[in-house]
Amino acid sequence: MIDQLATTMADLEEAMVLKLVQQRLDTGEDPMMILTSCREGMVLVGKRFEAGEYWVSDLMMAGEIFKQVSGLLSSRLKTDAIGKLGKVVIGTVKGDIHDIGKDIVVSLLNAANYDVRDLGVDVPPQKVIDVVKETGATIVGLSGLLTVAFDSMKETVAALAAAGLRPKVKVMIGGGSVSEKVQHYTGADAWGTNAQSAVSLCNQWIKEVAR
Amino acid sequence: MNNEALFQERLTRIKKVINLEPVDQIPVIYMGAAFAPRYMGMSMAEYCADPEAPMNVTLATMNKLGGFDGINAAMAGRLTPILPALWLSRVAVPGRDLPPDSLYQVQEAEVMTPADYDVIINKGWQAFLDSYLPKVADLVELEEAQNWLKKNMPRAIAPYREHGYVAITANPVTTPFEYFCGGRSMAKFFADLYRMPDKVQAAMDVVLPDLIAQGISGARMAGMMGIWVGGWRTASALIAPKLWNRFVWPYFVKIVNALLEAGLTPVLHLDQDWTRDLARLRELPEKKCIMNPDGMTNMKKFRELVSDRMAMMGDVPSSMFAAGTPEDIYNYVRDLVSLFDCRGLILCPGCDAPINTKPENMEAFIAASHEYGKVA
Repeated sequence: MIDQLATTMADLEEAMVLKLVQQRLDTGEDPMMILTSCREGMVLVGKRFEAGEYWVSDLMMAGEIFKQVSGLLSSRLKTDAIGKLGKVVIGTVKGDIHDIGKDIVVSLLNAANYDVRDLGVDVPPQKVIDVVKETGATIVGLSGLLTVAFDSMKETVAALAAAGLRPKVKVMIGGGSVSEKVQHYTGADAWGTNAQSAVSLCNQWIKEVAR
Repeated sequence: MNNEALFQERLTRIKKVINLEPVDQIPVIYMGAAFAPRYMGMSMAEYCADPEAPMNVTLATMNKLGGFDGINAAMAGRLTPILPALWLSRVAVPGRDLPPDSLYQVQEAEVMTPADYDVIINKGWQAFLDSYLPKVADLVELEEAQNWLKKNMPRAIAPYREHGYVAITANPVTTPFEYFCGGRSMAKFFADLYRMPDKVQAAMDVVLPDLIAQGISGARMAGMMGIWVGGWRTASALIAPKLWNRFVWPYFVKIVNALLEAGLTPVLHLDQDWTRDLARLRELPEKKCIMNPDGMTNMKKFRELVSDRMAMMGDVPSSMFAAGTPEDIYNYVRDLVSLFDCRGLILCPGCDAPINTKPENMEAFIAASHEYGKVA
């Protein structure tokens, strides 16, 4: 049974969400419990998107609200006591500076309790390799709007293989013009054209690893 | 047959398609703004710097490849100085901000603020632009580029016709939504639609007449039969229905009706996925517009819901031109022709053939279009 904050979050009622968060903080409640409620709301948002009840604009608005809640809670959270589901390294590939799609994915993955390292835009393959090695991330997300990004994605996947990291990481690609054909072209493991599918993929992969 | 007679024959054929009449050959239309310079060995920096380059290199590409009846959006003049005025965003330019042979890219950021809606509502669109454009555009370059167009159109695109090609559009018009989305940045603008819908709508209502007037003026200046009506962030897949019904569709309808009243053919260049709302296209006057999707909208649904009222120009996906094979292209064109049963169809790259289009894929597109598109 989810609480009022989670429901309000799922209904995208921004003002009410912020009011409820503040009220619960004022009563001295553990900020982690408040964050958990909001995450439950975000899970509902994702389910509504998958059911065709919500659209990209709703996902983005949910991300905006969640970002504000995170801002309110961040100074009160000593550490994120709940273990993260997994580590994801993500970026818009070299030659492409579009970040909107990537940013939505980052926002939703954060809300879904992933440890996300956002490398920004125009990211060279070596940077991805360096950060995967540094973080031990098991998932890499490569974003790109332009078709020129396909070659950069391919280079990045090849570079991960050359560095011996390919067996350890799953690679997902996303962006307006990606497709199954582009996935095969780049050598990635999966593709998606919306942010929620990235969250679903990560959840699926993390479950597979846990088995 | 001389080129003028060829032009007239092709124009007649295209008009028949728009009117959903049978044709002997499905028209094949070029679209590939950045493919042309790459194909002809010209750097993007040169393409963006020289106002004569887009027409010259595009025409050379069409002539070299052969087999085209016309061009979707006739390239002429310098695009990159003008783009900031269309997107309300800064643009990274090859040779200046990017390597010389890379693609220009819109640098979308939150430059426009919620307070700017008030400026628009209280002072008007032009007053807003006067204060805003210096933040995203090089005004000297912008004015030069605009003056070049005023001085040189339609002379600059006349060579298309002289070579027998039909240029369908040469200038864009779009909804206030797209302008605001570019200026505010997508995440902030979408949030505005939830947070301050009345204010956004009031600003849109102020802007719309100016955008329509500007679009009609540009099309008349170029002497075009059609006008490119753009939609990218307004796609159905991106926006909740209650927002789309309020902030997108009514503005499209007003724009299309105004263009039709001005005697122009609206080419609905609708990127991304519009499948959810395809039936709404039936609200537009029949046999007057061209739907021009990019490969993401479901064409089976279009065929089922709209093709008895509107022609379709497209929609071989840009990703297929870049990452696919000639066989992929052949199969896609074959299936498209089969789906439309040779009626109400113009074959064209969806959105456009991108900079990294494989030449063999473009050649396959032309060959397949002629092979499968021959009706009689």
